[in-house]
Amino acid sequence: MTTQGKRFFLALAALAAVLAALPLVVTNPYYLNVLNVVALNVLVVTGLNLLIGFAGQISLGHAAFFGLGAYISGILTGTHGWEPWTALVLAAAVVALVALVIGMPTLRLEGNYLVMATLGFNLIVSVLMLQLDDITGGPSGYTGIPPLTFFGAPIATDLSFYWLAWGAVLLGLLLARNLVHSRVGRGLKALHEAPLAAAASGVPIESYKVKVFVVSAVYASVAGSLYAHYYGIITPKTFDIFKSVELVTMCIVGGMGSLWGGLFGAALLTPLPQLLAVVEEYKDIFFGGILLLLLIFLPQGLVGWLEGKRVRPGGRAF
Amino acid sequence: MAALLTIKGLSVRFGGLQALDSLDLEAPAGAITALIGPNGAGKTTAINCVSGVVAPNSGQVGFDGRAVLGMAGYKLARLGLTRTFQNLQVFGLMNVLENVMVGMHAASRGGFAAAMLRLPLLRRQEAAIRARAEEVLAFFGLDKVAHQPAEELAYGDQKRLELARALAGRPRLMLLDEPVAGLNAAETHELGRLIVKIKEQGIGVVLVEHDMGLVMRISDQVAVLSGGRLIARGTPAQIQQDPEVIRIYLGGGEEFGLLA
Amino acid sequence: MPRARDVPGPGEGVAVSFGDQLAQYVVSGLTTGAVYALVALGFCLIYNATRVVNFAQGDFLSLGGLMAYSFLGGAGLPMVLAFPLAVASVALVGALLERLAIRPARSRQVMVLIFITIAASILMRGVFKHLWGKQALALPPLSPETPMHLLGATFTPQNLWVLGITLVAIVALVWFFNRTLTGKAMRATAINLSAAALMGIDAHRMTMYSFALAGALGALAGVLITPITSLSYEVGVIMGLKGFAAAVLGGYGSFLGAVVGGLALGLIESLAAGLISSVYKDAVAFVVLLLVLFLRPGGLLGVKSGDRV
Repeated sequence: MTTQGKRFFLALAALAAVLAALPLVVTNPYYLNVLNVVALNVLVVTGLNLLIGFAGQISLGHAAFFGLGAYISGILTGTHGWEPWTALVLAAAVVALVALVIGMPTLRLEGNYLVMATLGFNLIVSVLMLQLDDITGGPSGYTGIPPLTFFGAPIATDLSFYWLAWGAVLLGLLLARNLVHSRVGRGLKALHEAPLAAAASGVPIESYKVKVFVVSAVYASVAGSLYAHYYGIITPKTFDIFKSVELVTMCIVGGMGSLWGGLFGAALLTPLPQLLAVVEEYKDIFFGGILLLLLIFLPQGLVGWLEGKRVRPGGRAF
Repeated sequence: MAALLTIKGLSVRFGGLQALDSLDLEAPAGAITALIGPNGAGKTTAINCVSGVVAPNSGQVGFDGRAVLGMAGYKLARLGLTRTFQNLQVFGLMNVLENVMVGMHAASRGGFAAAMLRLPLLRRQEAAIRARAEEVLAFFGLDKVAHQPAEELAYGDQKRLELARALAGRPRLMLLDEPVAGLNAAETHELGRLIVKIKEQGIGVVLVEHDMGLVMRISDQVAVLSGGRLIARGTPAQIQQDPEVIRIYLGGGEEFGLLA
Repeated sequence: MPRARDVPGPGEGVAVSFGDQLAQYVVSGLTTGAVYALVALGFCLIYNATRVVNFAQGDFLSLGGLMAYSFLGGAGLPMVLAFPLAVASVALVGALLERLAIRPARSRQVMVLIFITIAASILMRGVFKHLWGKQALALPPLSPETPMHLLGATFTPQNLWVLGITLVAIVALVWFFNRTLTGKAMRATAINLSAAALMGIDAHRMTMYSFALAGALGALAGVLITPITSLSYEVGVIMGLKGFAAAVLGGYGSFLGAVVGGLALGLIESLAAGLISSVYKDAVAFVVLLLVLFLRPGGLLGVKSGDRV
């Protein structure tokens, strides 16, 4: 194994150890709940980072994939009595198909067409969640979603969900890491940097872009399904365009193209609005201001900055 | 020797400009076919057509007896046709070794699912890719900078890295677009020697180049383009005597000195 | 979500012919469409100068309405002063956005710059909420609301104001970009930045002008539309997104496309809401956006451009 590989597994083991120890210290259910939300965000952001950081494409529709996962899981189990794990898998398959339909026509084109299409898609999904109230419960949300089970035992407490959610994060990070350090991952990085040369080397650019978009959508869908079964109630507002923006922001603030960056970004930004609740009325001003400063002065992200990565100007100089 | 690459009646128009006018050309395996001509003669356009970057208005391109015109670039790479670029196209943030490992893409297997699950097949393959990349880096004398980001390399090293990447997947034909442009005499001489060694492995080389000294020294056959048309073809010795070629280069001015 | 208030139908309760209804939808569609066009033009200006999609464009609209409200009600200025002042102050805010957030950015990656405008949008909305509160405000129309009738449609003077002022703004823009030195310099910078810089054009300044102009257009849209919809600190969010959809519909970056896209989107929305169902009115714009991206990504008027190697 390479040194890089060893470092990753050491870091992953350290993370697992910290995660195993945390519940001994954190017993307050409120803080456990925050940690659980962080876990779900990390899961989405890890997938999103594959798309943004490695393939150089932005999606402003990941909250919609997150939401579709949640609503499909919720409705299949709540209304139709499906077994939750089966519903989770079916939701992921449906979301993969939807991502394929959006990604195929738009990722073929040069430029940022995906960001426009996903933005529109998220807005449409939000309207549907609000308006199809016979199915979705409308603005007040969909309730009565059963918890997931583990060999028959319901995963209903904050602590049991903590193990599930963070277990999913570790698995998600491992799979993402494997992808990044494979011929496919190298192909993704290459197509981002010099598409012509990547194609001339045998990288099927369009198909790779579409596939990584689908993979990132599936990460979001799985996180959404977990979310639905954890809370038992889901509302459209959780999955609106602002959530999509928040998810991408976590990627950028943490560090694009670094899997640990997604972890840091989500861990930092998830509780920030709650922390800023202290300053109540100035909440948005502080949040926007902090974000603005980070983006202007630390565009390489927190992890990039800690690793001493230089800022690569890139793009048009003006 | 049967031709590996055959171009027939290739024509390209950019608006009012006839970039290529019914070009016929053949390039055999195990030989260096140089494509020369003044700026704007259509040399790079010809390479871009063959490698699927530019769609011609008419014509045929055959590679190993198979019609490949309009085929996507990545599929050509799988068939064993690779290329380098005139303006550098290295993957700047990736290190030198990884750049060359990308060059092995066409010669390796395994998609997203296999990669994410890190199947045993892929682990073995990964070791083979790395070994081959290191071998190619040593061939080009880039082994000492293997772990540096490609964008930090000196210009000459980046030029060689382009070649290393194109060679890594054991292609059967390489299209080299001005591989020594901007290099000094010693670097040019060294790279010329390596291109000859590539040819000696049985690989066909199509060389677009302005450096006449290099072209005349290492090419097996030379094709001269002017205004999008093939005006002469032959061995370097024949081309140097061709009155039409001399006239064109006299007209072109600055490059005549290199012919002598 | 704020939506355009329906213009009162001719003689409420009286049976209305289909043709009259249609005329009515066209009038209200064109009115909203004109405002979308103004917002879309703002998107184009900044995109052409920087390749950045400016997500604060909608907030320029909100701020235009809010400033006009304060100049009118708070400072007691007459309309002829209050509205131009509102437009000018948002132009200044646009210039400041470029000077304080875009220019000092250490990365020039378009993706990072786009998110800077998103952060600025969050910040601005926070400030608006703090200064003007969450409640809905009202801005009076430009002249008294006496309904007029033409070809079966009823419309108010505000409809005419919106269409007329939008037309004047577009003509002024065309004049500015074709007839003034600054306008030509801005076009040159948009086409080839380094060449423009070599000719001695201050590219930073031109970019700043683009932001200022985009601010002015957004504010103008706000002043014009908020008497028809309602005014609040977040009225610009949805209007901004629709303006964005209009810009894509017309072919992102094209001025003519922005105008055509805006009017077309306004019409489509109004007809779909009137003839099919108003429940999905806000989704219509984005369904159109997706269809355009899938089927004709260059926009209605756009042509697909190829890259040269």
